[in-house]
Amino acid sequence: MAYFHRSICISPQVSFPEADLSRLRESKNNLLEVTEPDYPGIPPGVKRRMGKSVRMAVGAALPLLEDYPAPEGMIIATANGGMEDCLKFLNQILEYNEGLLTPGNFVQSTSNAAAAQIALVTKNHSYNITHVHRGLAFENALMDTIMLLKENPSSGYLLGCTDEISAYNYNIDRLAGWFRDKPVLNRDLFLSPAKGTIAGEGAFMVWMDNKRSGASAEIHAVKTLHSMDPTVVEEGMKQFISENVPAGENPDLLMTGENGDERMNPFLESIESCFPASMPIARFKHLCGEYCTASSFACWLSMQIFQTGKIPTLLVKKNPTDSPVEKIIIYNNYRELQHSFILMSAIDG
Amino acid sequence: MSRIIITGMGLISAIGDSVETNRDSLHNELTGISHIQFYKTAYAGKLPTAEVRHTTEELNRKIFQPESSSITRTSLLGLHAAAEAIRDSGLTLEQLSSKDTALVGATTVGGMCLTDELYHDAKAKEGGTPYLTSYDYASVTLAIQERYRMTGEVSTINTACSSSANAIIYGARLIRHGFAKRAIVGGAESLAKFTINGFNALNILSSRPCAPFDKNRSGLNLGEGAGFLVLEKEEDLQGRKSYAAFTGFGNKNDAYHPSSNSPEGTGPYMSMKAALENSGLKSSDISYINAHGTATENNDETESRAMLRLFEKVPPFSSTKSYTGHTLGAAGAIEAIYSILNLAHQEIYASLSFNDPIPETGLIPVQHYNKQPIEHVMSNSFGFGGNCSTLIFSKT
Amino acid sequence: METTDLKKQLKEQIIHFLNLTTVKPEDIKDDEPLFGEGLGLDSIDSIELIVLLSREYGINIQDPKEGRKILTDINTMVSYIEKNRTK
Repeated sequence: MAYFHRSICISPQVSFPEADLSRLRESKNNLLEVTEPDYPGIPPGVKRRMGKSVRMAVGAALPLLEDYPAPEGMIIATANGGMEDCLKFLNQILEYNEGLLTPGNFVQSTSNAAAAQIALVTKNHSYNITHVHRGLAFENALMDTIMLLKENPSSGYLLGCTDEISAYNYNIDRLAGWFRDKPVLNRDLFLSPAKGTIAGEGAFMVWMDNKRSGASAEIHAVKTLHSMDPTVVEEGMKQFISENVPAGENPDLLMTGENGDERMNPFLESIESCFPASMPIARFKHLCGEYCTASSFACWLSMQIFQTGKIPTLLVKKNPTDSPVEKIIIYNNYRELQHSFILMSAIDG
Repeated sequence: MSRIIITGMGLISAIGDSVETNRDSLHNELTGISHIQFYKTAYAGKLPTAEVRHTTEELNRKIFQPESSSITRTSLLGLHAAAEAIRDSGLTLEQLSSKDTALVGATTVGGMCLTDELYHDAKAKEGGTPYLTSYDYASVTLAIQERYRMTGEVSTINTACSSSANAIIYGARLIRHGFAKRAIVGGAESLAKFTINGFNALNILSSRPCAPFDKNRSGLNLGEGAGFLVLEKEEDLQGRKSYAAFTGFGNKNDAYHPSSNSPEGTGPYMSMKAALENSGLKSSDISYINAHGTATENNDETESRAMLRLFEKVPPFSSTKSYTGHTLGAAGAIEAIYSILNLAHQEIYASLSFNDPIPETGLIPVQHYNKQPIEHVMSNSFGFGGNCSTLIFSKT
Repeated sequence: METTDLKKQLKEQIIHFLNLTTVKPEDIKDDEPLFGEGLGLDSIDSIELIVLLSREYGINIQDPKEGRKILTDINTMVSYIEKNRTK
């Protein structure tokens, strides 16, 4: 058994300290950027060195750890966390011709900087790891934590992720054709599918343990796969359902990582075809934008849906419903090749 | 539960293109540390490094990659080592591409060895080099996934210098929990201006060949290379050879400073202790330690303190970084393979360039290659960010 | 440049270089230790300050241990700069 308890989500929408999913905050220049909160918990001496992704991660983790002060592991995912610092250091290398350089950017640019800083500030010596496998980094971190809970059933863990939009990284991805070349607002993202999507960023931290009491959601299963073939992905989803969903207990909602990039359409069609035509379908990337660990935002949204009992209208693609949502299946796709399935359910009573 | 066994290994480093040639160098106490031949940096000729003795074009040809591919040197090194490990294990292509074969890679540089291309692509208004999608860490693992059409669980880990040790741990756990039947695990790293300049800015690169655990050590030498292992359950061996068993691991965080260990070596101590507890062994069961031993002032002293604290009598130990340099993300896997060679051949390796012990701790590493009974080997990898990992391998 | 002006300039440079966003020049006392207590800087900062001395004042300190002695407080830094600056 694996449960999500309290979580903190720092996103381009109103998600922290309170969530408000009634209105959509707009993108600017095809970017959905986080407006950062104050982070009073981060000591200034440590905060001054942090890039945005590390700040968001530490800023989300510290308030959570006040409620759960003794994690026996910190499992963090990031794919491009620290890229901004990395490229700042690169600038120095070239500007000063590999001469005398300041090491601060180099130290902060390492992927494990977020996990390291959280451990350092809280003086936590336990298991500490950073998964960086592009669009499946968060799913791998989730799987790692699920295994830890089986190994140590009475322990609790901090699971989280962070990714930032860095100007340099955005440029590289734009040249590679992953972002829209014409301006598009997030609210219009799905109106006319084209090549590319819009960029996003954010951090998510959650406490995981084996205790059902007080939990926000149960995590039943997570599976990942690499394929460019929609048939293979469809097979993968069917197998995931047959292994994890008891017959007759269909999920109440399918949440997909549809992002307005028309290259995803064959995959989306295959996945949607695994469910009855009446299945309510939601999507989330017009809220958070596209980034490697965006599936964590879908998990956070699922927890909001379980808590409020309602699917925010903003999210609905098809078949809106007022019926109770007990079980959500999340399908995410990152740049065609990487796919993930996550099954979560509400806690009754 | 069935033990996790290593059934295949592959390796490329400054001291050889294969497991066998690496072992020859270790046996003959031949270091790979010298001056940079191929990589273009202002530090060529000034800072000793342990470069793999092939140009990137040669590596491309050796691994039969199409010339026009956008695969970076780091990925080529990874492919080279993974190919050897796979051949060595006797796994079929069908088994490799099945859903129950996992792949866990590790790197700290990824495709960022291509500094000039990265800089160009970060700023260009249009166009871009062929490497646009090859800079990130995952690209190294995905090069292997793509080549062998792997459909099982795939992950990439970056915890600085302990990355591939953690990849080995994660792969073994995927098998234990039934997410995979077998796992290809390891890491790859190539020289990069990014790491050369980063470590140099921290004043921890030595202008001499590194001298781990020596009183007059003056820092590390960077190295490059890749190591991959095939992990399987003992019950699945079906008569195939086994090199050693992976019997214990520890992962703890020092939580003291972003780029150095606490003076008492808390993280290293806890990591080694956790590995012992995980394996069910006593400290006196450890025959030999492949130390992290980077030859920085901080690591060697703190690792020594941790060993003294944990072991009533510190077992023989060496740092093979005196041969391969510090291969960062690949170090955990490369040194795991050396540890397995210790067991398979019942031998231990010299720690080169050592003269006088650190006065505060007095520990003396192994100084000459020799054969002796080895039952259990401990391998340490301690990275920036306090990420400390320890692996234990045992004779089968 | 007058010593008092140099002290003020140095404090501003330190704040900017080390991104000490919550510190003002008036907060840094001339004889307050920069490392450990006082401003609470660490080993990474000591390296960064050595780079600052090179880039702003043309002073090259080869031995980081020597550097730490010079970087004790504002007074010792300013005194060293006045004697050794080439810019």
